Order: sequence, then structure tokens, then C-alpha cells
Amino acid sequence: MKIEIQINNSVSPSARFVSWAPSPCRVRITDPAGLTGSVVNVQLRSVSAASSGAVAFRRTTGAFTDTLTLPVPINGTSVSFFTAGKFGRPSSSNGDVRIEARVGTALGGSVTVMVRVRKNANNLTPGERDRFVAAFAQLNNQGTGRFTDFRDMHTQVSSPQAHGRAGFLPWHRAYLLDLERELQAIDPSVALPYWRFDRPSPNLFTLEFMGVSNALGTVRFSPTNPLQFWRTDGVQGINRRPFFNTAAAPPGLLTEAQTIALGTQFAAFRTMEGNPHGTAHVSFGGSISQIPTAARDPLFFLLHCNVDRLWAKWQRQNGRFNPAVAASYDTNPSNPIGHRLPDTMWPWNGVTGPPRPPTAPGGPMASSPCASAPGPQPRVENSLDYQGTINALSRMGFDYDDVTFA
Amino acid sequence: MATKRKRAASGRKSATSATKVHRSARAAVSVATNPKRTTKERVAASADAPLAICEDDKSLQAMLEVLRNRNEPVKVRLAALQSIQAASFSVVAFESCRADYIATLRSIADDPDPEIRQRVLGILAREKDGFAQKKLLEGLENPEKALVPPEKALQLLGYDLKAEAYAAAREIVSKPPNEDARREALRILSADATAAPVFEKLLQDKDETAEIRQLSASALQALKPEKLQTYARKILMDASDFDEIKATSLTALTQFGDEEAVSKDEELKKQVDEMSTKASPKVKQSARRFMTKYSR
Repeated sequence: MKIEIQINNSVSPSARFVSWAPSPCRVRITDPAGLTGSVVNVQLRSVSAASSGAVAFRRTTGAFTDTLTLPVPINGTSVSFFTAGKFGRPSSSNGDVRIEARVGTALGGSVTVMVRVRKNANNLTPGERDRFVAAFAQLNNQGTGRFTDFRDMHTQVSSPQAHGRAGFLPWHRAYLLDLERELQAIDPSVALPYWRFDRPSPNLFTLEFMGVSNALGTVRFSPTNPLQFWRTDGVQGINRRPFFNTAAAPPGLLTEAQTIALGTQFAAFRTMEGNPHGTAHVSFGGSISQIPTAARDPLFFLLHCNVDRLWAKWQRQNGRFNPAVAASYDTNPSNPIGHRLPDTMWPWNGVTGPPRPPTAPGGPMASSPCASAPGPQPRVENSLDYQGTINALSRMGFDYDDVTFA
Repeated sequence: MATKRKRAASGRKSATSATKVHRSARAAVSVATNPKRTTKERVAASADAPLAICEDDKSLQAMLEVLRNRNEPVKVRLAALQSIQAASFSVVAFESCRADYIATLRSIADDPDPEIRQRVLGILAREKDGFAQKKLLEGLENPEKALVPPEKALQLLGYDLKAEAYAAAREIVSKPPNEDARREALRILSADATAAPVFEKLLQDKDETAEIRQLSASALQALKPEKLQTYARKILMDASDFDEIKATSLTALTQFGDEEAVSKDEELKKQVDEMSTKASPKVKQSARRFMTKYSR
């Protein structure tokens, strides 16, 4: 007997990554030898160490359970089910969860999966940290790699597409997802971590991770850290001068609770672009403190990951995933192009020339073997339902360690 | 119809909620700009001011006035600067303020306070501002006119590299006023293709600091990667060289090395394999990563 388990409806090992949002899966009998009858009961369960990830299952809708028994025809017909990471049990390495399919006590097949979610950078294991910096250094490849496109997307010329209006949060969500998918093409076990800037993050500002700034603001790295080879715009290294003790949180920032309390309407919540977002940027001198140069510093992406997490948390708390509900977005008619719900977003739409920027670096949004949304040319409205809460097909394949699915 | 009504009501709520936020930002500006309030209160209020700065010219002008006023406490002026800078992230709303902002920054580039000078020149340099670049170069040529130390001037010129910056950096490398200035000058030269021989020499020099050799490895990796591969190998085979540069060499080969060439280099692999069990913790860690990649 042989049983095939497809995660994210794919036989490819590259699709064996799940988050809190349900992933569509299939199971089928590929070799019925030894089985009797036309249908057998296949039991699915997840096996992992207590410190590893864990997944749960459900047939269609309703609650997830630790095991799931499905009647599966022995003629090779697939049976659908869903799996998702158990909230609070993310993986720390690729394949640290095994899903087994048994008929009775006989093991018919298994696959290893990873519960891959975005985590607090301060809490990463050394392995998670090292894989992330290695993938990031590789993506940049000393200023000659694919990262150059991401650097060129976030400039003074392009900033009206991404800042100062309602599309600020959607644009940056797409930007981070595009980058994260490129990192995952290098190392699929990597998820973008977030810098929780309202809390001390002493493990982030170390020689092994985002580096330690000297008095001048030149960032130093451990000789084992590949970010020592970081280079952007032709120049070696990173300039970042913290105006706060990096063992503590920067002062003057709205806390997570204060940010989420800005209002239950998107129009009020999006004022977080000033504080905490802008305030976090200017808690440093150096590249990260200004739009034209911010993306030179890899920390920028961890800062924005936290901005996106705050939006995700606000969305979950207030149920703001549906673009058809006015409170989910600011539909002010004065919003310029790129900031209205039906608009495609630059640069993924490839549109150049006024009112869009003169070039569109990077091409379409990177695809993922785990999720089909938001598609190669995302629209503003596609960015809201990132977990597939309203429409399962909108799921983008990322989640935050502290934002539930339901 | 019902949906339309619901949306309109929701829109009104949204406007009310946003208005409250804006009102509190304007109140923050009035505290931040009020000389009768304590420094602590004004600094704290500045953090909440960015939104008002974007939406209201009066608020921007009041904050710019605090920044310009050399009689105001430095802490208050720095907080005002930080607040305006945070507001500048709301680029669409800030666009109409940009000219006033830049003009104010230029007017205080020679401020008596060194921290204000440094921050202001930093902001202008990141905007690729010609006025600031000229001032920085003048200071390097004539230290009496310098608004910031040479190492800071070099670092800031690195935001928009031009021929004059390379010339100034070469001059500093030949006669460095201090170690920091030398390091920053070398960082600038790491973008200059003609400087590769300088970095070859520094990388091989065991009397150089670990930081300078690390920077040289990084520069060489960008300028002449095949040379770095040769030197990295040499460093790894040299029992008398230091652990720090060995770890850097291993990181370079693991991350950016010519996979085909390194995979075939049995002598090097044998040496690194030994390091993975017998060297210092840093070298061991890098050696293990190297072996994971190349012993497959």
C-alpha cells in the first residue's frame, strides 16, 4: 500500500509549507496492494517533537483536530482536506513536522512540512537567524543580485506610490511579500522576521544579526556574518546610528496597544504611518532614516514587517479583511492612482510614465508554490484578505506568530 | 440602498476618528513649540507632532522655527528635527513643505551645536544635496572650515559617490588624520575599480586590524572576486594567520565562492575539515558551514 499526501494541492516538496491559514491538501491511494474493499479509512496525524512545529486538520470547514480520518477510494481518486499550523507551534527548521497517513496501524505514506510564519526577530533561534542573513546576503550578492530591484523600488521618485496616502500599508505588504518569496527561492525555510520596535530587541542588534553600530554609525558584523559583504549603490557597508540604547526600545513610539487603538476605521488606523512607523525610522541616523536611502539597510525590512504585523493584528481585532466593507480601507475619492482599491500597484503592474514613476524595476510579483494570491500584478484590494478569511483563494501564504487565523 | 447608508455612516465615523487623531497631533505641536513648557514635555510632545506637520502649514512653520532658533534648548531642536523627519515619510502630504524644510536645514548646517550639524548634513547628504556635498568636501580640503570630523564627512559623501569624493578619500588614505577617517575613506574607495591593489595589500597585511582586513575582503570580493578567492584560500592555508580573517575568508567562500572551483579543491577542503573540529569557535562555525556546502 502507498498513500500520497499533497500539501497545498501539490506533490512538490517546495509546496510543503503551511501557516495558520488553512492550506488545501489532498490524499490518495497510489498503490492499493494489500487493501480490500473500494474505500478505506485513512487516518492523518502530525508527528513532531514538543519544541517543533505542529499541524492540525479539518475536512472542509469547522474546527481543526489533531487527527483526521477520511474515507479514501482505493482507485486513486483524491480526497480533499485542509491542514494548518497549530497556533503557538511554529517550526524552527524545515520539515520538523511529519504528516503520516495510516490505514489501521500500517503506515501508507508521510511527508515532512514546515509551519513557516514570520516571527519576532528578537526570538529567532541561531539557526533561523543565520539562515535569514545568509539568504538576504545572497539575494543582495554584494549589490549585484536581485535585491537591487527592491532597492530601486523604494526611492524618492517612487515614493508617492507607496507613502502618504491610503495605499501605504497595501503597497508595503506587497513589497515585503515579493522580497520574502525571493528569499524563500534561495532558502525555503526562511520567513521575514519583524523588529518589534516597541519592545527591547537586544538579540537583533548584535554582530551576528543586524550588526552593531559604532559611534560614527558604521555597522560592524561578526566575521561569520555574511552581511559583512553588504553593498548597495556601489558602497560597502551600512550606516545606521541609533539614537537610543539598542538594548531597550526607542522612546516616543506608540506601543502596539496604542497603535491598534488609533481607531477602528482604516482612515484613523493608517495615521500610524507617522507614529510609530516614521518615528521608528527616525530613531536612527543613517540610511534607514530617510525614504531615498532606507532600503539600503536590511533592518528596514524588519521594521516594515512589524508595521505590516500591526496592520494584520488590527485587521484581525476589528475584522477588516473585506475590501467591500468601508471601514477596511480609506476610500477617500481624493486618493491618487495606486492608492484606490481597484488600482494595480506599481511596479508590479509594469506601468511607467506619469503619474507612475519612469521605470518599473523587478517585474511582476514573485510566485509561490504554496499560494496563488495576490497574483503577478496585485491590486490594492488584493492586499487586504492576506489569510483568505473572506475568500480562501486570497491567501498569500504568510502569517505572523502572534496573529491568529480566526 | 441599505449598504450605501451603512457605508456613509461608516465613512462619517472614520472621518471623526481621523479628526481626533489630527486634533491631538496639533495639540502636540503647540506643546512642542511652547517655550514655557519644560524641555522634557516639549521633547515628548514632538513625537506626536508628525501628523499635524503634514496636514497643516502653520504647524510645520512653528516646528521649523524651533529648529532654526539657536536659543532653544538643543534637545528640543533635535526632537523637532526628528519629528519633521518622521513627517517627511508621508511624502505626498509633505511635498509642499519640502522646499522650506531643505532651506531650513541648509541655514543651520553651520549650527554651533555639533550634533545638530551632523544630523542636518546627514539628512541633506542622503538627499544628494549639492550644497551639503560642497561643504563636506571643503571641510576635507581645509580642516579649519570643517563642519564635521573627516570620518563623518567621508561617510556622508558615500551617499552619492562622485570623482571628488574618491580624490578626497585617496588623500585621506595616504595621510589619515585618524583610524576612523582611514576606514571611511577605504569604504569609499571600495567602489573605485582602480583601488583593488590597495585592498589586496591590506588584506594580506597581518599587521592591519581585523576590521580593515575584513573591509578589504569585502571590497575585493566586489572589485575582483577571483582575487579574493585566491587570497582567502591562502589565508586559510596559513597556520599563522588570525582567526577573525579566517572566519571572514570562510564566509566569503561559502557565500559567494566559485562553487565549481572550490568543490574540486581537495587540499582546501581537507584543511577546512580539520578547522571544523580543531579551530576556535568562530572558525569552527564558519568551517562547518563551508563543509556543509562543499562536501555534498
